[in-house]
Amino acid sequence: MTDEKKINIVLAGQGNSGKSTVFNYLTGLHQHIGNWAGKTIEKREGTLFYKGYTIDVLDLPGIYSLTTYSDEEVISREHIIHQNPDCVINIIDSTNLERSLIFTLQLLELECPVILAVNMIDLAKKKGITIDFKKLQDILNAPVVPTVASRGRGLTRVIDKVIELKGEKAGHRIHRYGKEIENCIKQLSELLVDINLPYPVRWVAIKLLEKDNDISRLVAGRSPQILEKAGQLIENLEEIHGHDSSVVIADERSHTSSQITREIVKITSNRKLSINDRLDALTTQKSTGYLFMILILGGMFLSVFSFGNWLSGLFDSVFREWHTWWNENLGTAFLSALGWSAVESVLALIQIAFPYILPFYVILYLLEDWGYIARISFLMDKLMHKMGIHGKGCISFIIGFGCNVPGCLSCRIMESKRERFITAVLVTLVPCSAVSVIVFGLVGKYVGIWWALGLYLFAVAVIFIAGKISSKLLLGEPVELIMAMPDYKTPQLKTILYQTWDSLKEFVFIAAPIVIISGVVIQAINLAGWMPAISSFMSPVTVTWLGLPAITGILLIFGILRKELILVMLAAYLGTTSFSDVLTSQQMITLAIVSMFYIPCVATISVLWKEYGWKKAMAICVLEIGFAILLAGIVSRLLNFVF
Amino acid sequence: MNSKKGRISLTKLEDGQTAIIVSVQGGKMLTKRLADLGITSGKVVKVIRKTLFSGPVQVEVAGSRLVLGWGLSSKILVETR
Repeated sequence: MTDEKKINIVLAGQGNSGKSTVFNYLTGLHQHIGNWAGKTIEKREGTLFYKGYTIDVLDLPGIYSLTTYSDEEVISREHIIHQNPDCVINIIDSTNLERSLIFTLQLLELECPVILAVNMIDLAKKKGITIDFKKLQDILNAPVVPTVASRGRGLTRVIDKVIELKGEKAGHRIHRYGKEIENCIKQLSELLVDINLPYPVRWVAIKLLEKDNDISRLVAGRSPQILEKAGQLIENLEEIHGHDSSVVIADERSHTSSQITREIVKITSNRKLSINDRLDALTTQKSTGYLFMILILGGMFLSVFSFGNWLSGLFDSVFREWHTWWNENLGTAFLSALGWSAVESVLALIQIAFPYILPFYVILYLLEDWGYIARISFLMDKLMHKMGIHGKGCISFIIGFGCNVPGCLSCRIMESKRERFITAVLVTLVPCSAVSVIVFGLVGKYVGIWWALGLYLFAVAVIFIAGKISSKLLLGEPVELIMAMPDYKTPQLKTILYQTWDSLKEFVFIAAPIVIISGVVIQAINLAGWMPAISSFMSPVTVTWLGLPAITGILLIFGILRKELILVMLAAYLGTTSFSDVLTSQQMITLAIVSMFYIPCVATISVLWKEYGWKKAMAICVLEIGFAILLAGIVSRLLNFVF
Repeated sequence: MNSKKGRISLTKLEDGQTAIIVSVQGGKMLTKRLADLGITSGKVVKVIRKTLFSGPVQVEVAGSRLVLGWGLSSKILVETR
């Protein structure tokens, strides 16, 4: 029977537990990443072939509890209950055992088979933390396997355990609450047995006492009397404890986890300041933290762009030869030219992806895996709060400097819809690699590097003001930052490459097709000879208001595809790459400002569309076009005083 | 209201200072969320450091390091030993 050789497992754990590393290690290239039905939350699935078994692995979102704060938490618990996985592998950060166990206790309440993978034990050892795994196993009556996922250590033992336990009942020791709560659970359980819900009875009783919305509604539908009874019990509990019942229960869980931790953990030699503590102090304290941040981020951008310019120049000379070859052998007639525009779109994407985006993400994820990115969130939280979002939004901004597409997608880390939207809007204003090509290729090269850097500062100021305005317009309380501060650790090449590929894939599969198709369409319009009409139609804006040559009307249309096309087409139309012959400094700066802000590129628009609906996506485009033109016109007039 | 002697908000602690959490003055959701992270009354909390201009607070509680926004930290009442 093939069925006997099929196993479904689920990975569950808190953020930073190394869950993704385990997932990548187990499934390698057999991964499928999609979305949960109707949600913008990533669903990562993969398959592992091991000892004749086909093991389907699902990576649940990283969450801190199993209540209903966030969609991620609801998805996770619904999946575990309804999909009946053969086993849940709970990945635990051994350096944060106490916090991780709170989640484990909730997981065990779901009464599904759980295996504990106590991860990063090498780091725990370094910190002087000794864990009695045997005792933990006895306390919870669940298999415990120590692992070091980054090196693959212990993971085969985890899978062996999965196979060994297949088909067996859970039988874990479920955590007992205090006398009053247990009494309430007992009373409710007795009533709940009769209504036959698709959830474990004890778990439903606990959720009722925690006033869980979804479960209360479900029970109310079946038997309003039980809900009424729960209401009485809750009232009684709250009277005794003087707190909300859900808090009382969460408190008890938290204290149980402390107690277990005390029993199984021994900490030795914590006298000396570790390297981690020193680095942490250096990179987060007031006096040196900000300086380090500027140095690290500045160094990152500088090295990426100098490397990018070099490599992109190299590509450029090769592609130019290809174009000559194409024209000589296939001609320059309509269809051939259209064909080249498709090829050229692909080449141009390569020219952005490899020299700029790839190294950018390698460095970014190196910093993340090392543990530095969380420090930036910490340092920037206050500033981000002024824009109505919290420190984690900063990460989306930094990703946006590489490419706005993964930048906008990364806004999913924000907790509320409101913050997700504000962050996404602001990310579209972040100058991506393509915009940087314009800024450095035009302003940096012909006006001066300080002007180019000045434009970056200007962009930051604009983003800040836009954030302030949008946080005022979109009502709602800003969510406070709650974030785990990871320890610094040696970055793992494998993790970095996986994450880089994840982001690059978004660029390749989302951005590329749209860019290529619309590239051909616009080229067709161009070849049909309609461009001059369009540029003269736009001349009141481009010539009269912005003081640019009429030709820029066409450039700005091409720029919707990919921002750097503005520069490429400028050279093509003017027949020269020494832009200073045809544009004044003032015009270059104006053009750069319009390019920075006027509209997100098509690929970014399509992401906004997918995540927030077409109305909001269009609203952003219209607003940003109007804003960019207004702003650039004003700056152009101000520059009269300078040049 | 919370002027009992020795009870101060977490944000009033100095860098490196340790205290015991007395209560969390937030709404039910916030209190529960913190409890899920191991931040409940009776636990020992240590302020690792604060940032400039009432920025977030880095704390060590329940054996792990967390960063909490300023507004949130000011809702956590502690008692110094």
